[in-house]
Amino acid sequence: MEASKEAEDGERNAEFDASEIDYISYDGEHHLPLIMSLVDQELSEPYSIFTYRYFVYLWPQLCFLAFHGDKCVGTVVCKMGEHRNTTFRGYIAMLVVIKPYRGKGIATELVTRSINAMMESGCEEVTLEAEVTNKGALALYGRLGFIRAKRLFRYYLNGVDAFRLKLMFPQPDLHSYLPMMTNMDDSQHHRDHVSGHTEHIAAEENLKLNSVS
Amino acid sequence: MEWKSSEEPYVNTSTSHSSSSIPASESTIWADASPLLEVACRELQEGELIHGENFNLFAAMSALEIMDPKMDSGIVSRYCSVDEAIEDGAAPVPISFDKTEDIQCIIDIMDHLLACEATWHKGHSLAQTVFSCMYLLRPERTSSHALLHSYCKIIRATCKAVVSVVSDARTHEEEDLFTMSYGLPLNGDGDEKCLSLLNAVEENILRQLRACKTSSTKRRVTEDVEPLQTNLDLEEGYCKALLCRLRFRKHFFHLLTSMKRPQGRGLELARKHIAACISELNFIRKSSEFLVSHACGTCEGSKDEKTTASGRLPIGFDASVNTRISAPTPPRAIKLLSWKNAIQYFEKLLCDLDSVCSYSLNPSLDVLLRFVVQFQKAEPDLVARAHLQLLLVQDGKLYGRDPIFAVIARAAGLPDVTRDHTIQRKENVVQLGHLVINMLKILCTNSAWQRRKLGKILQDWRVIYVQLELAFRKEFEEVPSVLDYENVTMRILKNILTWVEEQTYWIAYRFLILGFELELYSPNEYCMVYWYLYIVLRKLAEKTHLKMTLSEAKQKGKKRKDSPKDLARETRIPPAVIFLQCQICLAEGLTLLLAALRNELMVLQSPNPFNSEHERFVQHFELLQKACIPDQIPYPLFMESTSHVCFSTIVMYNYFKDALKIAKELKSSFSNDPDKLAELRQLEQVAEHNSIAFSIICRVGGLDRSLKVSFEPIHHPYFATAVVKRS
Repeated sequence: MEASKEAEDGERNAEFDASEIDYISYDGEHHLPLIMSLVDQELSEPYSIFTYRYFVYLWPQLCFLAFHGDKCVGTVVCKMGEHRNTTFRGYIAMLVVIKPYRGKGIATELVTRSINAMMESGCEEVTLEAEVTNKGALALYGRLGFIRAKRLFRYYLNGVDAFRLKLMFPQPDLHSYLPMMTNMDDSQHHRDHVSGHTEHIAAEENLKLNSVS
Repeated sequence: MEWKSSEEPYVNTSTSHSSSSIPASESTIWADASPLLEVACRELQEGELIHGENFNLFAAMSALEIMDPKMDSGIVSRYCSVDEAIEDGAAPVPISFDKTEDIQCIIDIMDHLLACEATWHKGHSLAQTVFSCMYLLRPERTSSHALLHSYCKIIRATCKAVVSVVSDARTHEEEDLFTMSYGLPLNGDGDEKCLSLLNAVEENILRQLRACKTSSTKRRVTEDVEPLQTNLDLEEGYCKALLCRLRFRKHFFHLLTSMKRPQGRGLELARKHIAACISELNFIRKSSEFLVSHACGTCEGSKDEKTTASGRLPIGFDASVNTRISAPTPPRAIKLLSWKNAIQYFEKLLCDLDSVCSYSLNPSLDVLLRFVVQFQKAEPDLVARAHLQLLLVQDGKLYGRDPIFAVIARAAGLPDVTRDHTIQRKENVVQLGHLVINMLKILCTNSAWQRRKLGKILQDWRVIYVQLELAFRKEFEEVPSVLDYENVTMRILKNILTWVEEQTYWIAYRFLILGFELELYSPNEYCMVYWYLYIVLRKLAEKTHLKMTLSEAKQKGKKRKDSPKDLARETRIPPAVIFLQCQICLAEGLTLLLAALRNELMVLQSPNPFNSEHERFVQHFELLQKACIPDQIPYPLFMESTSHVCFSTIVMYNYFKDALKIAKELKSSFSNDPDKLAELRQLEQVAEHNSIAFSIICRVGGLDRSLKVSFEPIHHPYFATAVVKRS
């Protein structure tokens, strides 16, 4: 599907504090026009209303909207399901933050919420496609632990290649023979603090991760 | 709001459906759905639909919103059909009754078609590019205009030839838009005889050119030749502009036909046509100056984006005219390559085709694999890759000539008796032959697709290895009394096994390094990637060496006595193996340097909320691990070999110095191999720069926290150069 839009460029940046942004779970038809207009204006691929409904009716719990006051400034739309009868996989279909609000971690927060919901629903991995030229999105997903699993040749109709990005959740059997993992995660936690990441990551998520390992 | 109707359908069992072709059965019943639909129609709002359980993403994505210009390809842009457009005068024949104007327009059409053709080759649909030309769509309409008619004919014939090469090669897995041509008149009546008409037209223009030259030098006109157009001052320029365009088409068509000849018999001839094409392209480019200066009604827009030499808009094209026929035409407008870029595209294509044609059809698989890898470095497009693939594999034979078992026998260094040995009919060996052919085809695909396929076939190679090994053991159990070197089957199997292993590691190596080319690795994953590359390279070197030793043993067996010279050669490590050792040193050096930086300076780390390095490791190397490359549990092994690395330990040994030394020494061994020499020079540069960076980082790295180190592919596509800066 379509690449996500979150660029690092800060032209015409809106003045606001991160705490002024409200994140709301999809809550019915009245949200649909907001999502559609955001996606329509920011992404090039055209989607019919049925595509939007396909996602938000079946997986409303994976769809979030970001509001600054009354204004909807960002959204994420996802799905999940069995992939080739082997893997329960989450999929990020659309991620948009409007230009003046980019670079402030809104997209990271939106997508983090969706990924958390996927993890809680038992997904083993999350995938998406992003244009190889969309550096902002690639960096964002890289920070969240996605790897570039494949390159898809001329994936978009505009002739641009895509990367298939993939995030694999820790699996119990994977870590069982690895005694040093706990140490590593501790040190990572520490480094996260040192390097002063501005991205908002809920503390309980790190706890969850550590408890798995 | 209800999107999906959950109401039970009204069942009207009394309705008779005896006339229906599908009778009701025990599990099905015919029902009249009209009442349901009526209710639904009353309740449905705009944007709602009734759907079955199987309504999925694909169905949702296939839905169209009528009259949305981004989706509705049926929306009338200008004309409903080609015929309507033609009736409206969008593609007149002749284009103008003013002969000069007519010629100008025809040249514009030719140029725009070249841009369309290049755009098509670059991945857009035929219907939206070349066949947006209405003159091509109605072949009979141009018959009164010999020049236009001959050009349209050869364009259709060329498209047909290119489609056939690409479909035959089937290298277009992800590029299937390319060959879709339903509903397009690719088989125009008499198009196969396009060359005779084109030759006649060319001959005529040549005469016109000669005539105008003689008249311009005031000599008596010997021939009664009607000029091409009315303005005699421009006659020579227009004749020349047309001639190079016609000749380019002629040679390009000949080139395609020559390359298709079986067993590479037409390659030499093809090269002559390539040279002619390049020279005509040059004339075409030069004609621009003349055409621009005499163009009237120049269109707006940047000169570099124009699709014609004159800069004018061509007559007779409509990209949306095919939207209602079955060939795929996404409703959005596409951006055509400019005329200048189209010429560049064809020059590149010709250059790629020339390197295919210049290949000597060497029977050695090693040489062939290196050639294909080298060929792919130039990033050839689909058309060139398809030609290469068709040349390599024809009728299940290499070059349509060498049986695949003979190729394997040679590659594995099997004894000569093998040629007629029954072993080649063994199921596993036949299977191995299929794997080799499949691998060759994969190596001709685009690198994104190629990497995925190489990753997948690793497992097939592993399975065949295990099966052959079983066969080998069985053989050994059946004839235990015979010494193994006397058992030919056993010797053959042993050589094949070694070769299969070597080949498997070669595929794994390609798989890993293509990841660099495709930019699949981020710098914080470099440490694990170089570590894996190091493991694979070591195995590859080991197996290559073993294979070479085995085949040398075979050659030695033939000679009677070992001379002291032979003994010396025996102890010498083959240059191909030393070349790998140079890379091993670089991979190991980079792994350790990256590990020390990570462990001591905490750089190139990527803590993230959802997983750890372990998951990323598993994801990147999943396909290698499935094929047991290497055999043991790799992540703990990786951790074991890198988690304790620190500057104080690695400073003891600078692997880059070794790599540098090897690279310098090796040069003399490859003095006849320019490609290898070029790569050696690259490796040498990486080794030299990294050796210095390594010393600096080790000396001050642990103390100086302001040191910034990045790894860039400056000197080599996959061995990064360490760049040290102080922040």
